[in-house]
Amino acid sequence: MKQYIIYAILGILMGFILANIGYANYDEIHKMFVLEDLRMLFTFAGAVAIVAVARLITLGRLPKQNKIMQPGLLPGSMLFGFGWAITGACPSLAFVQLGQGHVPAIMTLFGIFIGVSLYKKVHERFFMWETGSCSSA
Amino acid sequence: MEYWSWWIGAIALGLFAVVYGFLAGKPLGVSGSWMRIVNWRSDKELKEAETFFKDNQDEAIDDLMAETLAEFGEDVADEIKELSPDNADTDRAKTTTKSSYTPAGAHLVFLLAMVVGSFITAMLHGGFEIKFELSELHSSMSGQTWEMWAGLLFGGIMVGFGTQMAGGCTSGHGLSGCAQFVPASLFATFVFMASAIGFSLFMKLTS
Repeated sequence: MKQYIIYAILGILMGFILANIGYANYDEIHKMFVLEDLRMLFTFAGAVAIVAVARLITLGRLPKQNKIMQPGLLPGSMLFGFGWAITGACPSLAFVQLGQGHVPAIMTLFGIFIGVSLYKKVHERFFMWETGSCSSA
Repeated sequence: MEYWSWWIGAIALGLFAVVYGFLAGKPLGVSGSWMRIVNWRSDKELKEAETFFKDNQDEAIDDLMAETLAEFGEDVADEIKELSPDNADTDRAKTTTKSSYTPAGAHLVFLLAMVVGSFITAMLHGGFEIKFELSELHSSMSGQTWEMWAGLLFGGIMVGFGTQMAGGCTSGHGLSGCAQFVPASLFATFVFMASAIGFSLFMKLTS
């Protein structure tokens, strides 16, 4: 139960932060991608720098990210980039869009669900390589 | 709604990723949560098998030994004992590995709670409003209404399929991986950002 409460608080915090930055707004995302307004790009880069510094300060006690070079990295990242440009959403931003009242985000969420399910089947049938996906457990 | 300046956003997002790492015991990675939720059935079966094996370790080892002897004959028994002297006979060491297992339900709570966090933001900034488009700009670039919905469906499939194929997304590769200078994450982040920029510029030129 404790785990569920922790994840609920973390989710609320993340949704709150992403919405206040403007990541739920398609126009802001589009302005970032056509390089008209780099505010959100700087936000992202700044956040990466803060996590990197925190890792140094805590002497590497932050959990390690186990990402590996694998054949799906290039095509997968390209597909994701195209999808993000079309929908304005990455796997978390579709939820944030929905919280802002954008009903069409339900379609994006449905699409992501299909995409994730489809990949599992395709991977087991054809690819079978190690992907090192986000969190293992 | 007025958004946070880039440095306030960076501090908030960066500190959040750090807090997440310490509380969850794993790096922030949303596509991993998606994978766990969508594949909850196989995940549940795996967990049940793991628990069963832990609870019945001695019986499972005896069964495996019996099957091995039946398959390869009594002659291999001595060889197996030599290979694993610590585990032989009754002197079996129990595994004491610390489990950091998070149920798929907790991942689902995490994702759905984001809707709540975003909703709270909307309420604090002039109220929540139901909208049947992402924005006027998005609708104008998408064409007719059915084209917009179809575009979001196919775009969503690309996001879901692509992040699983790449083994991570903006949070897993972009935030957690890049902060740790993981080569695969640096490469993936460059590729998905460049692809999104290239495709958006193409959309702008053709609309």
